[in-house]
Amino acid sequence: MFRSIIKQRPNWQISAAEYGFTFHTMHGEAYWDESAYYQFSLEQIERDIEAPTQELHQMCLQVVDKVIADQQLMQKFQIPEQHWDYIRNSWLAGDQSLYSRMDLVYGGAGHAKLYENNADTPTSLYETGFWQWLWLQDQVNAGKLNRRADQFNSLQEKIINRFAQLKLEHPAEILYFSCCKDTDEDRGTVQYLEDCATAAGIECKFIYVEDIGLSADDCFTDLDNLKISWMFKLYPWEFMLREEYSDVLESAAVSWIEPPWKAILSNKALLPMLWKMFPQHPNLLPSFFEDELKNSQLVNYVKKPIFAREGANISIHLAGKEVYSSPGPYGDEGYIYQAYSPLPAFGDNFTLIGSWLVNDQAAGISVREDKNKVTQDMSRYMPHIIL
Amino acid sequence: MKRTQSIDLGVMRKAPKLFAFRPLALAVTAGTLIGCSDDTQEAQVYKSVEDCISGNPGQTEQCEIAYQQAEQEAIKSGPKYNNLAACVQDFGAHNCQSYPVQNNQSIFMPLMAGYMFGSMMNGGSRSAPLYTSYSRRSPAYGKWTSTDGNLFGSANSNKIRVNDKAFKPKPTVRRTMSRGGFGSTIAAKSSFGGRTSRSSWGG
Repeated sequence: MFRSIIKQRPNWQISAAEYGFTFHTMHGEAYWDESAYYQFSLEQIERDIEAPTQELHQMCLQVVDKVIADQQLMQKFQIPEQHWDYIRNSWLAGDQSLYSRMDLVYGGAGHAKLYENNADTPTSLYETGFWQWLWLQDQVNAGKLNRRADQFNSLQEKIINRFAQLKLEHPAEILYFSCCKDTDEDRGTVQYLEDCATAAGIECKFIYVEDIGLSADDCFTDLDNLKISWMFKLYPWEFMLREEYSDVLESAAVSWIEPPWKAILSNKALLPMLWKMFPQHPNLLPSFFEDELKNSQLVNYVKKPIFAREGANISIHLAGKEVYSSPGPYGDEGYIYQAYSPLPAFGDNFTLIGSWLVNDQAAGISVREDKNKVTQDMSRYMPHIIL
Repeated sequence: MKRTQSIDLGVMRKAPKLFAFRPLALAVTAGTLIGCSDDTQEAQVYKSVEDCISGNPGQTEQCEIAYQQAEQEAIKSGPKYNNLAACVQDFGAHNCQSYPVQNNQSIFMPLMAGYMFGSMMNGGSRSAPLYTSYSRRSPAYGKWTSTDGNLFGSANSNKIRVNDKAFKPKPTVRRTMSRGGFGSTIAAKSSFGGRTSRSSWGG
């Protein structure tokens, strides 16, 4: 695994406009960065990333199975008590999932370690599934990259196939896509998923999360006052379960993508549970709940809120001293503690691997780079190749 | 190969599609589309059961059943309003009726002005409710319109051209009591740090 400088495609910004990639630059800073790329060997991809990703996913599912059956654990995961049955039933009924992204620490050698599991609302999907795919094709066609260069990225293909599978359970049903207002990135991600669902033959409609309505007979409604029965939401369960309409989730009987049990899979409390159930697993970092910290013998660790997004409210503690902390509005629900395992540095960049799954199949990676030790939402997206 | 085999780039292009394929007012253009489509058929419009029977001697029972079906479909799929004024604005004065629902509340729906009646190949018949508007500001003024807002030409005419879809039952229209019950958390979290625009609520 190494980082190479490469000439940017001439006029890629025009191409981005043509394909509707509107958020390649955010807050005046580059988000998509094709001035360099990462190169992996096939062995690194298959042995160190693909196989562990699938194994980790199966381990995570075992945690869910344990947590839903245990009231104390449901409490530790900060699931509001009135929704325990709802979450549990969703798991026991086998509600289908679409996708997730695991963040891995990996620098080309040794075992990749799981940082966290973004199993509910992962973004950077379009950049991964389509845009870096197009970059590789363009650079190969321009003679800038070897014809044999490949990419670990079957994301778009697998998502379309997965939608085709899900459609079998929802014949003739409209699939609603939803995200919050005022974010180009989320809107772009949801539009991409809608395009994939359309390619799978599903009829789709879009509605903003804030516009979802509640009918007199406890259905969720769209802006035409029609019942919503099947919906993809790029909006976290941990928020939804605490909002006004959470009372009617059960009676509204929507089939959600991602399903309610993802509230457990995407929860940071998953990390100490994994360590408890699979101690010393090579792809796990030692992780602990607050009440276990004393006996954990952790000296260097990262403190993460149970619910947080985009690297907010994270602090790094080395030999008992806080050496870094990121601001943010999270932390009310408590924290977990994870052994400090710094991101590998390539030059003056810290690099994080996002490893994607479609249902339970590893489907590709995304590479993010930051000048900062904690990857935040403004870290740059870098393309990669396998050669 | 570890990557997606092929992607249809034509499908992925966004910019030109926006202008070419997004009708702004579906309800209004649908009337035109139906007129020039090949699989349309002529449907007879009746304003009452008697009207239907006089047009179809010997089919009293079919006319009655068709009327009842249309009425049921109207209640299920017809336009529903939370207040009388909104209904009157779309359908005109003395053309809206209140229906009691739970908690001593009422909803308002336009009166069914007629129903279309078509025969099927197997000898049966089918029907669908029609409305008209007496409000000059409404696009349905003086026209026949269906539960989903399609316009079918002048309400003076007792024949309209429709396609098969016009007879199909429409999804039930709900009465939405409130909106905004999801999304409140972001309002609280967004104010953090005074950042007015943000990138993602995913991660």
